[in-house]
Amino acid sequence: MNVSGRAQRTDAWSWPNGVAGPAATTELQAGSAVLRFPDTREDPPGFLRRALREGANNLAAMPVRDLIASLGLAGETLAQSLDAGGADEVAANAGLTAPMARTVLAEMAQSWTREALERLVRKEFRDGRVLDEFVRDGGRRVRAAGPPVALHLGAGSVPGTTVTSILRSMLVKSAVLAKPGAGDAALTVRFAEILRSQRPAAASALAVQYWPGGRPSWDAWERKVFAAVDQVVVYGSDAAIESVRARAPARTRLVEHAHRIGVAIVDPAASVSSAADAAKAVALFDQRGCVSAHVFFVLGTQAGAAQWCDALARRLAGLARDLPAGRLSPDEASAVQQVRGRLALKAAAGEDVRVWTSSGLEWTVALAGIADFAPSGGRTAWVVAAPDRNACLAGLATLRGAIQTVGLAGVSLAEGGFEEALFQLGATRIAPLERMSFPDAAWLHDGRRPLRELAAWGEARPDGA
Amino acid sequence: MAARGLDDARPLSGSRADAPPGAPRGRAGSPVRPILEELAACLGRWSGWNGGGRGSRHKDQAAVASSGGAACPAAQPDSRGADRQAGARAGGVPADPADFADERAFNHVAMRVHAAQRRADQALRRYWDAAAPGPPSNWRDVPPVPVAAFRDVRIAAVGAEAVFRTSGTTGGRARRGEHHVASLGLYRAAARGACRAALLAETEAVRMAALLPSPGDAPDSSLSAMAAFVADEPEVRGAWWAFDAAKGVRLDVVRDAVGDGATPVLLLATAFSLVHLLDAVGPSGLALPPGSRIMETGGFKGRSARVDRGVLYARARRRLGVPETCVVNEYGMTELLSQSYDGVAGRAPPLAERAHRFPPWVRVQVLDPATLRPLSPGEPGVLAIFDLANAGSVCHVLTEDVGVLDSEGGFSLRGRAADAEARGCSLTAESFLAATAAGRP
Repeated sequence: MNVSGRAQRTDAWSWPNGVAGPAATTELQAGSAVLRFPDTREDPPGFLRRALREGANNLAAMPVRDLIASLGLAGETLAQSLDAGGADEVAANAGLTAPMARTVLAEMAQSWTREALERLVRKEFRDGRVLDEFVRDGGRRVRAAGPPVALHLGAGSVPGTTVTSILRSMLVKSAVLAKPGAGDAALTVRFAEILRSQRPAAASALAVQYWPGGRPSWDAWERKVFAAVDQVVVYGSDAAIESVRARAPARTRLVEHAHRIGVAIVDPAASVSSAADAAKAVALFDQRGCVSAHVFFVLGTQAGAAQWCDALARRLAGLARDLPAGRLSPDEASAVQQVRGRLALKAAAGEDVRVWTSSGLEWTVALAGIADFAPSGGRTAWVVAAPDRNACLAGLATLRGAIQTVGLAGVSLAEGGFEEALFQLGATRIAPLERMSFPDAAWLHDGRRPLRELAAWGEARPDGA
Repeated sequence: MAARGLDDARPLSGSRADAPPGAPRGRAGSPVRPILEELAACLGRWSGWNGGGRGSRHKDQAAVASSGGAACPAAQPDSRGADRQAGARAGGVPADPADFADERAFNHVAMRVHAAQRRADQALRRYWDAAAPGPPSNWRDVPPVPVAAFRDVRIAAVGAEAVFRTSGTTGGRARRGEHHVASLGLYRAAARGACRAALLAETEAVRMAALLPSPGDAPDSSLSAMAAFVADEPEVRGAWWAFDAAKGVRLDVVRDAVGDGATPVLLLATAFSLVHLLDAVGPSGLALPPGSRIMETGGFKGRSARVDRGVLYARARRRLGVPETCVVNEYGMTELLSQSYDGVAGRAPPLAERAHRFPPWVRVQVLDPATLRPLSPGEPGVLAIFDLANAGSVCHVLTEDVGVLDSEGGFSLRGRAADAEARGCSLTAESFLAATAAGRP
């Protein structure tokens, strides 16, 4: 897989100091950049494993407050480096435009600071020292620690997801081998290199390496890696997760984050900014994030929903100028064409369907039934008119299994068990629409505690109770 | 491509619709009906193209390629030249399907079919009117209908004899695309010549083993129907249906098909059912008789799973004793009645040199997915296929498949793009349908 041309080349690995560089590399197009990554298919991953176990020992000896300081400093420096122009490299790698990359990274970086990490540890563990030593917990003493070595398998090209995942594992003192998604390699390597330059001891517990996951030619390598680590945190499609499950040894613990979609419930009469907020929830990350909004249930009549669609379409047109979308992949563009075409034919067949589109494929708004929805990406907002909350819940029920975040605009949770109903339908995060795209560091990602999920616990009862 | 009633060899359920569900929209006097009969008579006469790989281009192919589309004309003697030209001028269906290699002849019939479809199906007419100003004069200007629309709208220019459904098992029954097929005779005629040329060349007798459900078990599978057409060919000395909804691939039935090993076996399979067979026979393998051949289909899309064809064919050689030259890929879909093959079994070129070719009554364009404008050979884009055999529904179909035309009139499939890693952590349509299947009818 060799790529030629004048595209920017990014080295998609960062190994611990003392580990010899790769003997061979190969290349892959990712966004408009070219990734150069180690071709280690034939080599056992032992060298990484040994180095990372030494790194894990270094982390174990490091007080968590120092670890927070080290990781947070690297996170802050990373953010500064992005402000100083690094965002362009990240944007090229992710296939996002520079304004989009700058916007989303500025928000995400807020959860990588010393202050944010300290807050996260405090929220997860009443006493953060539990990561250093046994601490009192009622009538017992408890201790928490991540497994020595964790593998993180990132997904796709949403920049920052792998850095967040690395920070979580390292905070519980697991050494990390991170395989970022192809579009998230530049940022992840940048973080690792900053940490290496600032805090070599902490960085000894971090290796980053991209490889094309799931390919038959990398199967043997992946099996060795799965067997060499203690925990795998995998982000990906159900198929990708099933593939890891099938190949990882039983003793290797899996923490899974499957792909999901965001939906929103909007009462236009009660929220003057709902169309603007909705447009952002669609456009940010070019609708590639699990927190990105795809479906909007709009309370009221079909005519009212159509009016709201008009406003949403205008806002999306504005964002197409202010936060332009990256180039769609052929698959994404094809998916949008299919959606537009099938809705056009439904309309021609007399069905109650309306579509608003840009002249190109920048954005699409569809006012249609929920039964016809399938995510297409490409800034496509699927709007469903719902006369009341019960109609929303009935529509959401058809999405059960796919929902992650539910955004609300002009809709109160105070009434009659609405949040409980949403939770029962699978929503693991309910948030204001305007904050839908940017959860805070402590969010219960896919219904999991961000740090506790990664740690194993021990207890001691000195009194024998 | 939309899977044809087979979801990667998973079992399917469905019912044969000898009469389509819901009354046909008063199509007894449809303007399409006479064309169907003419086409069925014509297409059944096709006897295939020469070769299958690059470098086997027939002179007619050059004409087709240079005119912007790709097709696979037959190498047949020109015995009815005057009649054919007269037919083409009148917009009539030529007597010899090879004549469709001529762009003018093809376009005449394409426009005649299109006009009939416009008259017969109001929804299509409105769709086309909204998408393009005025009736087209060239098949390329007919706005293609996306395959996804077959899930939503009953597309039928004439009453149907059968309804074939895409697999769609992951999305529930309501999400299955439906192709209302007006004439099974036309389907057989469209399928026959190509599959005879690709699968039965230079053989006098084969025993057919289909790793597919039988048409009785899967009455709405267009692939099973096509396999049944193959089973009717005179060279086929018996058909064994080696797929069971409950048990999957039936190795015992494949062994029955092999019998005493005196007659070559024609194995029809999806890529995934072939993988299952290769797993089932184990390292010791099951040697198929000399002269055996394999048709595999699907596996390009690379969404739920990816099949590396090089690896698959190497395994087929090791475990079944069938060399790569005897394994061909068929590209087709429920929504189209014609199929393309990437070689002639027995003399198929190496994988890297293969190109798919449709019969001459089909045109393929590669379109820029962003603009739907035609791309030049060598540029990857989405495939749009104009299949005259689809006269009973809609001829011009926009697929979801990425491919690239070659300079000799063939095309190759790319599956997903080269950087085909998922682009985010948001669900794709396929994963969404799988994730929400439980909540759907």
